[in-house]
This record gives sequence, structure tokens and C-alpha cells, in this order.
Amino acid sequence: MVLALQSEHVDWEAGLVQRARGGDVRAFERLYRQHSGRIYGLCLRLTRDPSAAEDCTQETFINAWRGLANFQTRSAFGTWLHRIAVNVVLARRRRPEAREPALPLEDVAVEDAECTLDTPVEEREIETAVGALPQGARDVLVLCGIYGYSHAEVGHMLGIAEGTCKAQLHRARALLRERLSA
Amino acid sequence: MSDTPDSPDARRQPSAGDTGKRLTSLRQLPQAVEPARDLWPGIESAIRAAQPSAAGAAARARRPVRWQWLASAAAVAAALVLGVLIGRHGPASVSHGGTPLATGPAALNVAYITDPRYVRERARLLQTFQTRLATLPPATRAKVAASLDTIDRSLRQIQDALGHDPANPLLQELLVDTYQQEMQMLTTVDESAPESRAPATRS
Repeated sequence: MVLALQSEHVDWEAGLVQRARGGDVRAFERLYRQHSGRIYGLCLRLTRDPSAAEDCTQETFINAWRGLANFQTRSAFGTWLHRIAVNVVLARRRRPEAREPALPLEDVAVEDAECTLDTPVEEREIETAVGALPQGARDVLVLCGIYGYSHAEVGHMLGIAEGTCKAQLHRARALLRERLSA
Repeated sequence: MSDTPDSPDARRQPSAGDTGKRLTSLRQLPQAVEPARDLWPGIESAIRAAQPSAAGAAARARRPVRWQWLASAAAVAAALVLGVLIGRHGPASVSHGGTPLATGPAALNVAYITDPRYVRERARLLQTFQTRLATLPPATRAKVAASLDTIDRSLRQIQDALGHDPANPLLQELLVDTYQQEMQMLTTVDESAPESRAPATRS
């Protein structure tokens, strides 16, 4: 039943993508309505700035519209949008005024991307603690821990090695636990 | 947003914090966060601006134009596109007399073609383009048509390239530059037509 519903959703979305590819702006608006919350949530968590997140969300959908012809329909439209959003945020960071210092990483053992907490913590506290993480650690934690991407996918999105991704996640978890238990 | 509107933290944090729910895993956080305002109008303006209207396309197909600099501007745009496509880095913006060109970061440039004032002005110029063009000499009309065709081709090439690399800041800048050249040409045609000369007030 769940599979049937998911399949129906995918077919419905594929239809909208097809129409949008043909220049149907209303179909693209429906895709925007469907995905804007997740894209804005991702941009907000990566930028920590609602205004920047709004700009990045708009730029993501503008770029998506331009790139619709190159979207491979065998992959998920939402995942494709996420990749564009991450690119937009990274491009924004390349501006000199937006740069945050990178901190050195240590080699760590492979860990699962699931981020569990020892004791239950309020959502607000978690969001605050995630927002306070250093940029590299935060990026990986958001993409792996909240959005469920694998290390390989996150490494590809962020343009970093899988090992670096794992190290960042390890560091992010340690900092998060430290901050949430303080 | 989640907290009190005046709190700096309220503006920084996703709305997920509103519920007070206690979680044991990050995966339990909501992935979607609704923005404080509807972002669609800005997106729609940008994609419609990048999509030549049927009326505008028809006008261009039938219409004319002139001036050597117009053709030069279009040629520069085309040359820049080719330069980018073959991996050379052309100038970030094209300098030509008249309207100042945006030279800031790519995202700021993209904001240029999403600006409602730009969208309105472009729509106005496209609406009167045919009438204005008809008042120009035949040879001039032919040159304008050729130049606009070149700009259209340039825009399509840039958009295709952006399809492969949507976040490329150089391509984004080039796209905006080309739209600015189009705007410059439309404005010049508009101001050159006899009926618009007297009241022309472009600063």
C-alpha cells in the first residue's frame, strides 16, 4: 500500500516535471510548492541566515528551471534539487566575505550516519546546537544526520573525500553531545 | 520562524523548535521548514524573464533593427559565450556605453533579472518594440533583427550551459550581461523611434 502510494506520488511528480520541461510554469510552481519547505530547511540549516536561505532557495529553483532539460528522470527530483541547493550555498560561500575558517580534522573510524542522542533533547535545543557547529561539521551533520544522505553522496555534494565527510560527522557528533550536555 | 520575532536566535533557527518535542535522533527533526514569505513570485519573475514571451518572439521574428554598436554588443555576447564554452575566461562583464552593467557577485547579478522593475520595463519595451521598430529605416531594422537573433542564440547557449552547471557563477553573470545587452538594445530602439523621442527621459 505504501509502495503503491509512493509510486503514485512519483508518477504524479514525473508528470509535473515533464510538463515543466515543456515550459509549463504552473507545473513548475506545483513542484516548487511540493519541495520548497525541504529546500528552504536545508538552505536555512546550511546558511543559518533566513534571508540568505530565502535567496538560496529562489536561486535553487531558478537554476532548476534552467536545468530541467538535463534532469535524469530515473533519479529523484527532490534529490536533484538538494544537489542544486547545496551548490548554490557553496557558491555563495565562495564569496570572500562569507568564508569561515576551516579547522583541521583527524582520521576517525567509520561510523553510521545516524545521529542518536543519549537522552531526549528538545528540538529547539538541537537546532541551536546544530546551528552553532563549525561550517564543515554542520554541513555534514545536516546532510547526513537530518536529510539522511550517505557519506558518499554528501562527499559528492560538498566536493570532499568520503573520509573527510566521516571525520566531519564524527567531530560534529562530539561537539553536539558536548553542547547538549553542557 | 520559531522564537519570538525580536530574538536574534529566532531569526536564525528553523521553526522546528516550536513544538518543544524531545528527540533522541537528528532524523526526527522535520526536514521541511516553511519560509516566512512566499518565494514563488520572485522565482516566477526570473524564469519568465528568461523565457522570451510569445509576443516578444513574434515581434523579433518580424522586426528589424540598426546601429553598428548593437551588432557589436551582440557579437561580444556571442564571443563571451563561446569563450566560456571552450573553457576560456572572458571578461566578467561587457562594457558598453549607456546602462551600467552589474559587476557584483553572481547571486547579485541574478537578482537583477528577478527585480520587478526590470521585469516590468522589459515587458513594456517588448510590447512597444514592433511599433517602434516599424518607424526605423529598413536597413536598420534588418541589423537590429540580426543582432537580436544573435543575442537570443547567446541566451539559449548560456541557458544550455547552465543546465549542465546550474550554479556556475561565471555563466550566471554572463546570462545577466546578455540580458542587459538585450535591454540596452530594446531601450535604444525605443528611444530612437520618432514618436518616443520628444518625451524620452531615460537617465
